[in-house]
Amino acid sequence: MTGGSSAGAWARGAATYLAAVLFLLPIVWMAATSLRPPIEYISPSISLWPSSATLEHYRALMADDVAGKALNSIIVALGATSLSLAAGFPAAYALVRLRFPARLDMAFLVFVLLVKLTPPISLAIPLYQVLRALSLLDTLMGLIIVYQVYTLPFAIWMLLGFVRDVPVEYEEAALVDGASLARRLVYIVVPVMIPGIIATAVFVMILSWNEFAYALLFIQSPSKFTLPTFIATLITEDETFWGKLSAIGFLASLPILLLVGFVQKGLTRGFGGGLK
Amino acid sequence: MHQRSKALALLLLLPALALFAALTLYPLGRVLALSLFVTDYGFEGATFTGLGNYVELFSHRFFRIATWNTIVFAVLATASEVGIGLTLALLVNGRIPGRRFVIPVIIMPYVLSTMVVTAIWRAWFHYDFGFLNNVLRAAQVPPVEWLFNPDIAMLSLVIVDAWQTAPLTFIILLAGLQVIPREVYEAAEVDGAGPVRIFRSITLPLLAPYLFLAALLRSVDAFKIFDKVFALTGGGPGQATETLSMYVYRLGFKFFDVGLASAASIIMVVVAGVLAAFYAARLLRGSS
Repeated sequence: MTGGSSAGAWARGAATYLAAVLFLLPIVWMAATSLRPPIEYISPSISLWPSSATLEHYRALMADDVAGKALNSIIVALGATSLSLAAGFPAAYALVRLRFPARLDMAFLVFVLLVKLTPPISLAIPLYQVLRALSLLDTLMGLIIVYQVYTLPFAIWMLLGFVRDVPVEYEEAALVDGASLARRLVYIVVPVMIPGIIATAVFVMILSWNEFAYALLFIQSPSKFTLPTFIATLITEDETFWGKLSAIGFLASLPILLLVGFVQKGLTRGFGGGLK
Repeated sequence: MHQRSKALALLLLLPALALFAALTLYPLGRVLALSLFVTDYGFEGATFTGLGNYVELFSHRFFRIATWNTIVFAVLATASEVGIGLTLALLVNGRIPGRRFVIPVIIMPYVLSTMVVTAIWRAWFHYDFGFLNNVLRAAQVPPVEWLFNPDIAMLSLVIVDAWQTAPLTFIILLAGLQVIPREVYEAAEVDGAGPVRIFRSITLPLLAPYLFLAALLRSVDAFKIFDKVFALTGGGPGQATETLSMYVYRLGFKFFDVGLASAASIIMVVVAGVLAAFYAARLLRGSS
């Protein structure tokens, strides 16, 4: 569309920037509130910027062992991502390149999609019992395993597209030279797919980093809380812990906000899912 | 590519299959079986009741309320998110200075953890000191009980959900707008069609598959909503925002009525399965 008159173009630009500001405002508020002394946010003021900045909320978080919670989140996110890539990559490769009897591949893909769309809470009761039977309840390992309910379908669907992008001719040439499947995967498919694998890993990591429901249900010891469960205890503990909440919210969001350009590229590429 | 062995294909699929079997097939079978018993944990000491739990659920007032709330939330959230996403996509799909920076800024809320999102909005909704009521008071408008008025709490939930996930519908619809060839618009303009007519006869029909996809994706997710309800309203005030996921959580993990919670879980899986079937049909048609 050409946008018509210059007045029209101006109005469109203004409306776009207004929308962007509205979407950004709560995040700016959070960053500012993390530096604001309590006396300032328990007030009728609508100013966003603190008039006397303080680091007291960040210091209070240190005393609450926020580093330990962040470490738990990192362990779970890295573990869940590694497991999803390790199981998802061979599956995606096989589904795209190999022939299955009786359209089993299609059946499998539909099943994966159903898993992705199943409400996580409806699996929570039996998963709790499975984890307990395996003595994995209240462990980060248990969390890494149950996160596959979210992350594995996502990884498989996203990797499918990237496997399709690898030119078959590369592999056929290697096949003629007598390269085994393992050699072809290691020397041809994986190197060509590196950007796609990284993109998938980033999405899966964000997904695990943000997960809440299973972390709430399957972890009981505060020392094993991930950042979202820790934030949830602060939310319900006291109504106006806003400085501390904003500080931890900001810390938990910073790494993923830095990846937002990356997420944008991934989302425009294919929305076989969406993050949630 | 030709391949000699089908066993190899299955071998490569095996790790994923094993995980799915352990984490979804077995649990689904177990929850289906549990839904036929009166039990507070497993099968030991459980009493077989057949479809008794299902019958009891439908007579349960709270189950009906939770079902209704879930439908209301899903419809309101999907409609507002597709509406906002479409508006944003139409705005951004033109020549705008700094477009490269505007798009990532709009996406930001979507990558945040729901707990972070909830923490921000609980503060914004606070009656006495919340940012929203401070703005209203400054504008001489009476403050609103965002989370404690049963008639408004659901809308507050929708506002938060829309802020967090309208960016997703925005990206989907923007992608849809960008594949419409410029020549189509130019031809229409040459024929003297005005902007409204162009939108109705060209943009909307060509965008329809993307609108459908966005709406389907959002309604499936809205149907599952748990985190936000849990931390923003806890299902309250009263039962005003209790959704099905919240209801299952309460039954299974607070009241330990595992049989009844399992029956409710199965009903959720069936509904999600129907929505998923539409989605699968759409996606597979698109990829083949």
